[in-house]
Amino acid sequence: MNAVPQDTALRTLSYAEAIREAMAIAMEADPAVILMGEDIGVYGGAFQVTLDLVDRFGPDRVMDTPISELGGAGVAVGAALTGLKPIFEFQFSDFAMLAMEQIVNQAAKLRYMLGGEASVPVVFRLPSGSGTGAAAQHSQSIEAWFGHVPGLKVLQPSTPADAKGMLLAALADPDPVMIFEHKLLYKMKGPVPAGHHLTPIGKAAVRREGSDLTIVAGSIMVHRALEAAGRLATEGISAEVVDLRSIRPIDHETILASVRKTGRLMVVYEGVKAFGVGAEISALVAESDAFDFLDAPILRLGAADAPVPYNPDLERASVPQVDSIESAARRLARREV
Amino acid sequence: MTASDTKMTDNRPFAIRAYTPDELRGALKRMYLIRRFEEGAEDSYMRGLIHGTMHLSIGQEASAVATCMELTDDDKITSTHRGHGHCIAKGADVGRMFAEFFGKETGYCHGRGGSMHIADVKTGNLGANGIVGGGLPIAVGAALSAKRLGKSDVTVCFFGDGANNEGAFHESLNMASVWKLPVVFVCENNQYGMSTSIRRSTAVARISDRAAAYSMPGVTVDGNDFSAVAEAVHLANARARAGDGPSLVENLTYRWRGHSKSDRNRYRTKEEIEMWMGQDPITRFRTELIAHGITDEAGADAIEAAAVADMEAGIAFAKASPAPDVSEVTRYVYAEV
Amino acid sequence: MPTEVILPKVDMDMTHGTLAVWHAGDGEIVAKGAPLFDIETDKAAMEVEAPATGRLTGIAAKPGEKVAVGTVVALIYAEGEVPGSAPAAPAATVPVPDHRADRVPSIQTPAETSRAAPAPTAPGVLAKDATALRATPAARSAARKAGVLLEGITGTGPLGRIQRDDVPTGLDAGPDKPLPQSWTPQPGPLNVRSRKGSGPTLVMLHGFTADSQSWAPLEKAIGSGPALIRIDLPCHGRSPLRRITGFAGLARMMVEAFDEATRDLGMVHLLGHSLGGALAIAIADIRPRRVVGLSLIAPAGLGPEIDAATLLGITRATRTESLAPWLRRLTASPDMISDSYAEAAMRARGDGAMRAAQADMADAILTDGTQTFDVQAALHRLTAPTRIIWGRQDKIIPSRHATAQRTDAAIHLLDGAGHIPQMECPERVARVIGLGGGSPL
Repeated sequence: MNAVPQDTALRTLSYAEAIREAMAIAMEADPAVILMGEDIGVYGGAFQVTLDLVDRFGPDRVMDTPISELGGAGVAVGAALTGLKPIFEFQFSDFAMLAMEQIVNQAAKLRYMLGGEASVPVVFRLPSGSGTGAAAQHSQSIEAWFGHVPGLKVLQPSTPADAKGMLLAALADPDPVMIFEHKLLYKMKGPVPAGHHLTPIGKAAVRREGSDLTIVAGSIMVHRALEAAGRLATEGISAEVVDLRSIRPIDHETILASVRKTGRLMVVYEGVKAFGVGAEISALVAESDAFDFLDAPILRLGAADAPVPYNPDLERASVPQVDSIESAARRLARREV
Repeated sequence: MTASDTKMTDNRPFAIRAYTPDELRGALKRMYLIRRFEEGAEDSYMRGLIHGTMHLSIGQEASAVATCMELTDDDKITSTHRGHGHCIAKGADVGRMFAEFFGKETGYCHGRGGSMHIADVKTGNLGANGIVGGGLPIAVGAALSAKRLGKSDVTVCFFGDGANNEGAFHESLNMASVWKLPVVFVCENNQYGMSTSIRRSTAVARISDRAAAYSMPGVTVDGNDFSAVAEAVHLANARARAGDGPSLVENLTYRWRGHSKSDRNRYRTKEEIEMWMGQDPITRFRTELIAHGITDEAGADAIEAAAVADMEAGIAFAKASPAPDVSEVTRYVYAEV
Repeated sequence: MPTEVILPKVDMDMTHGTLAVWHAGDGEIVAKGAPLFDIETDKAAMEVEAPATGRLTGIAAKPGEKVAVGTVVALIYAEGEVPGSAPAAPAATVPVPDHRADRVPSIQTPAETSRAAPAPTAPGVLAKDATALRATPAARSAARKAGVLLEGITGTGPLGRIQRDDVPTGLDAGPDKPLPQSWTPQPGPLNVRSRKGSGPTLVMLHGFTADSQSWAPLEKAIGSGPALIRIDLPCHGRSPLRRITGFAGLARMMVEAFDEATRDLGMVHLLGHSLGGALAIAIADIRPRRVVGLSLIAPAGLGPEIDAATLLGITRATRTESLAPWLRRLTASPDMISDSYAEAAMRARGDGAMRAAQADMADAILTDGTQTFDVQAALHRLTAPTRIIWGRQDKIIPSRHATAQRTDAAIHLLDGAGHIPQMECPERVARVIGLGGGSPL
């Protein structure tokens, strides 16, 4: 370790620690960066992501907001419009629905409405996803909703390194960025580069190379897809796993290149299957030259057409799991669909 | 500004005491310019030269001009769908405004915004807003920026009586007060939210009564009395700049025209409209200036003629301006790199 | 200056309004703010007030008249003002800029603009196999590249879907369909030669073993008038060699080439000879709205008989001596085929792979010496004006294939002509199709 220069050193951090490190680095480097959100101060945030930052940077820069999602998000938009770089934490991504007006009508559109004369460099952090038993209003995956909004950028880190790199990239971006963090990943550990590490926005990553089929996944589904791909490899099925990383902008080229190579595509995501990320990616392929390389129908694996249930068995069954990904991928690879 | 040390014996209106004759004549010119600008816009609209709809503030000119009397280009305003007057009062050029209304590339928003999103960021106007209450949290955010960045700027948040029943009003006033932010909430109460009267929509007699709920001063003034508005906003600005937090000023006024150009005026009587037209804020201010020797009839006529000339030059500029290139329909969605 | 009374825009999406009633008459004094007239829009009626006080003059829109927004419908002269001319009638109105949907540019993705027309899912002659066939995009793409028709391939996927690996490519043929080794399918589109001109475009489809150069005598007779598009059939002229396993597949290729070649044109006239005549019927049946008329010279596909020996003889011939006797059967008088003509024809047929491909093609569509395809039903469905031209002395396909049809098509039997009247008597053929004497098609 000593031989590795400090700024590229890889340490093992959790996803939450990596996000916290990114916030601290940004706040050290730029006094315009502030944190806003409900209970992010001494409480440390509902998922402890901002723990102790208030001690380091003070309550003026780590601001507990009232339980006012619309107003709080709007204050962050207004502050971003006038020189600050706020990172606004929604306690749960579900609560962003209270602030849709400010996110969609204001943050996303101000630059355009004002003919390029305004910039809104705000970052929204949104703890997201199911698996915690929190049921219908605290477990949703609504990232695709924002994929429909020109003016926003929508990211989904799957690893601690990306969680850090995306947050720092979002802060460097002059437009509003929404980062959907998966609650079940907060404790996941992984190598994280030290220093000002940036993950490029809009670039997918091929996490595993393969030749028989392509699995495009995001967030926690990347890990489930990788596990399924590992099992399939023992049967001689070679699955390529593409980590989407960015929903908007979406990385057409990486997806299409993989489909051209394998001829089979499966999209795995935690949002409700209908009208989701899978539909967009399927349509992208169908509209592109990669269409000619498709040798089987496209498969989508998304959440059940129901709110996220409370009962743990129901909850598990409502979203793609390693087993369901594995069996669907096997059918696709064996030409059974 | 010489208001603070005026003699107790000086019974002249606040504005006459506080501002120089040049400043007062300039204010009259801006009021005429707003009136003639909106009449010119209305005429262009009826001739089919302007697309969409527009919301005219004819009859409310004193509120816009008196409120912006002491603001510099560094002070911010957030405006409303009825925002032409605010834009001119804050110093915008009517040629670029007309160009925007005509959808031209030379418009303030390069033809992307139109009447409802008219803005001039360089003079501190963060934009008219198509969402009732949309600007309230943004104004609080702008005030947060000023405080965090150590500036003495104030943000004036214009909103209408309709917005006082939006959730954003409650959240914004509460946060501004909790954080003692330099923002002045200026409610232009023109007594109707579209067709619904304030009596039928609002539980309190005066909107300024609501200030008490947020521990901030609230005052209701005759919004057609230039001096009364100027004085109330002067006090609120001083409080904001001193770091004592926000205030709520309610300017009681009336729009002569319908809500928008689609309004068939079924909810107001001709008598009511005529009564308010007898309270023309421009006539009242003109009379006041003549009475105090700031100008005379001939001088006031010359000021009005100059406003008409500006308006006509603005229309000519707009008509001669180029339209946006349709191939650039997605320009200004994101920052250009 | 009088004050203009205009028909105002009172609604977001309003471009016109109907003037319902005037509340004041021509010449009457009106007061500013008084009701002047009512207008009706799609949504509601609305009262319009007088914009000024004075004498109402020159009312230019009657009640019930629909008037564009911004139109001056009257003038109001202030007291003492001298009335001038009335405003122009609504017809000459202030132009109303139209910002609405029809002005919004349509934005096409590069994918949309660059993709070729979809494979025809044809009614009529192709319907049977088009509906039954299932193949993945990758299989279709591989088949296109290999010049293989999907119709002959057994799909191994669900529902009999043909997948990429089911498609034989090049020498790597499937076991149940042995492919000849003597030629290799070639990629690329069919060869099209175009000539600009005026009036309707003539799309020309040559016959089996001929090529697009064979139209030269007829083109000379036609002169420089119409625009010409000549398509080389697959395995003919300068078109690539493709695996032809049946008439339907061949027709599909020709429709694709036709679509591509006529993409930017209006309706066209089809001229086809022999096999090209049958293909012209198939194209017109699939693309009825693209075809203004057909001229068919000894079209194939109207009966089973054909002198297959001659055609196979032509495909097999490797030198002038063996080619000339077969060529001489094409014409009414054998003398028309000179030795030098036969030599030139042999030079054009010098490519052994092309000959082999044509032989395979003959095997597929003239199996056992029989025309195995039938376009009679399609002929009867044609709605475009059609004329059939046939040499009375045709020894390859009998002219009674035309005269036996119960069709509205005009039938021209040319005495003294054989199977290739367009070469034997090009001026007469040009006259019959309406191009010899300068008259339109």
